[in-house]
Amino acid sequence: MRAIFRRENRLGLVVLIPFAAFVGLFLVYPTVVVLLKAVTPHGELGTSALMRALSGTYRTGFIQSILLSGWSAIIGGVIGVLLALVVKSLSRPKWLHPTLDSWSAVASQLGGVGLAFAFIALIGTQGIMTKVFSNMGINLADYGITAVGFWGQVLVYLYFQIPLMFLVMMPAVNGLKTSWREAAAIMGASPARYWRSVGIPLLVPSTLGGMLLLFVNAFTAYATVYVLNPSGALVPLQIRYLLQGNVITGEEDLAYAIVAWVILLLLSSLVLITVMQRRTLRWTSS
Amino acid sequence: MDEFVTTARSGVRPASLLKWAFLVGIALYFIVPMAAMARFGFQSVPTALLTPDKLFTGWSVSGLWDAMTDPRMLAGMKTSLLLVLFAILLNLVLLVPLAIVTEVRNPHLRPYLTALTLLPWVIPPIALVVGVAATFRATVPWFLASVFSLVPFYALWAMPFTYRALDAGLQAINARTLYEASRSMGASLWTIIFRVLLPNMRASMVAASCLTAAMVLGEFAFASLLLKNTLPTEMVIYQAKNPRGGLAFAIFIMVLTAVGLGLVVRSLRRRGLNIQTTGI
Repeated sequence: MRAIFRRENRLGLVVLIPFAAFVGLFLVYPTVVVLLKAVTPHGELGTSALMRALSGTYRTGFIQSILLSGWSAIIGGVIGVLLALVVKSLSRPKWLHPTLDSWSAVASQLGGVGLAFAFIALIGTQGIMTKVFSNMGINLADYGITAVGFWGQVLVYLYFQIPLMFLVMMPAVNGLKTSWREAAAIMGASPARYWRSVGIPLLVPSTLGGMLLLFVNAFTAYATVYVLNPSGALVPLQIRYLLQGNVITGEEDLAYAIVAWVILLLLSSLVLITVMQRRTLRWTSS
Repeated sequence: MDEFVTTARSGVRPASLLKWAFLVGIALYFIVPMAAMARFGFQSVPTALLTPDKLFTGWSVSGLWDAMTDPRMLAGMKTSLLLVLFAILLNLVLLVPLAIVTEVRNPHLRPYLTALTLLPWVIPPIALVVGVAATFRATVPWFLASVFSLVPFYALWAMPFTYRALDAGLQAINARTLYEASRSMGASLWTIIFRVLLPNMRASMVAASCLTAAMVLGEFAFASLLLKNTLPTEMVIYQAKNPRGGLAFAIFIMVLTAVGLGLVVRSLRRRGLNIQTTGI
């Protein structure tokens, strides 16, 4: 660290200071203020706001958000890993891998207003799939598959979760060397045994890390849920409610406390993700 | 699982059939919602009245045209394009010198800058907006009054992939070797930056700019919560008024973004630049 301040490194300082000032002013300053306000409701140090942010409707919000993010991370994670494994095992159409690669890079960014519209056209009350299934005598709403239903929302989230998982998993899956599989086969291991003793243990850390990333990704998604169901009970929607309707004094503290919990949740998930990534790097980089 | 394994061993065909069935299923999942959206946006037959024989009637682009010529949508488009431009410029001004100096003179700074790539995951728009409302709204209200107050925040969330792209570009051209070679031939620092490094970084700058554009054009949470009118927020308002036109416009924007981003990602992969859109 001291090297930055040496004389010949003045140039480093010249480019670093504007950048640090920028990040400090627009990111660190607002974040620190929120965290401080969360632990000092009504100007005094205390945990009352933090406790209130985890009770009543706000507790429901956290539970709903965690369930939605969790299920979409688990399902999206499993499908994403399978997709990566299948794509790796198929070498024949040469275009398959690069096409899926580019498509995933694009689709993982497609969450938002447009995506919500697409699913309204599909599983909304006037949606085409709703109609097709009701013609067959199946009411999708009975299974929660509507634009505002729980499983419907999971279905929407999978649209950006699966490509993200594919992108995150591809390096780890490519790191499984064919020679390991051949070595296992020569020593008489069946494919099932190879997966049980080599493949799965190697893929577990990166899979868990990837799923946690999907969880974080879904937890903070706002545009999609806002368009699908603005009156839902998810945390991002509750933050909106508090931010725009904070007429009652004390409600601001609640918004700060909710954001503080969200940041804590994201931070701890990311620490775990980094730990999992270190484990994967140990064998993919060599 | 066991059954799968035995069939796989007795012959390649059933297993690869299963794999292709899986791929087709995934492809359908990604195509069908877009097709449903296109039908709704471009066909003027309500879903309730849609029967197989009416499948090919009533298609038109009038909804898209209405949406594109709506004055509020045009204004939103203009705002969003300016936001894209300013966010890209701000990011390049801040990060290009930083990436160059870090790579050629202060490589020990790299871990700190790589840590930066985690920022948007820890402090997403939905969290930062509360902090911004709590600080800038009280101290500098004129700042938040302008729609361009979004620029620094958009630049902030675009920083991770912008830095990654610039860094990957510098690594790919062996910037430090180029720097030392030019130095030993007597080139000044500015000559090196403007005549050696920057021309070689064009590809990664284009990539970073395209990713930034896609992000800014799609960002909804921050703009909506600060009550700013950008393209995505106008799209939601317009869709409530004119569902068909709103959807037609949304699919138009999505296809445009997807094709643009896809081309950029592919051309960069071909150059050997690995662009990480996830930032992790």
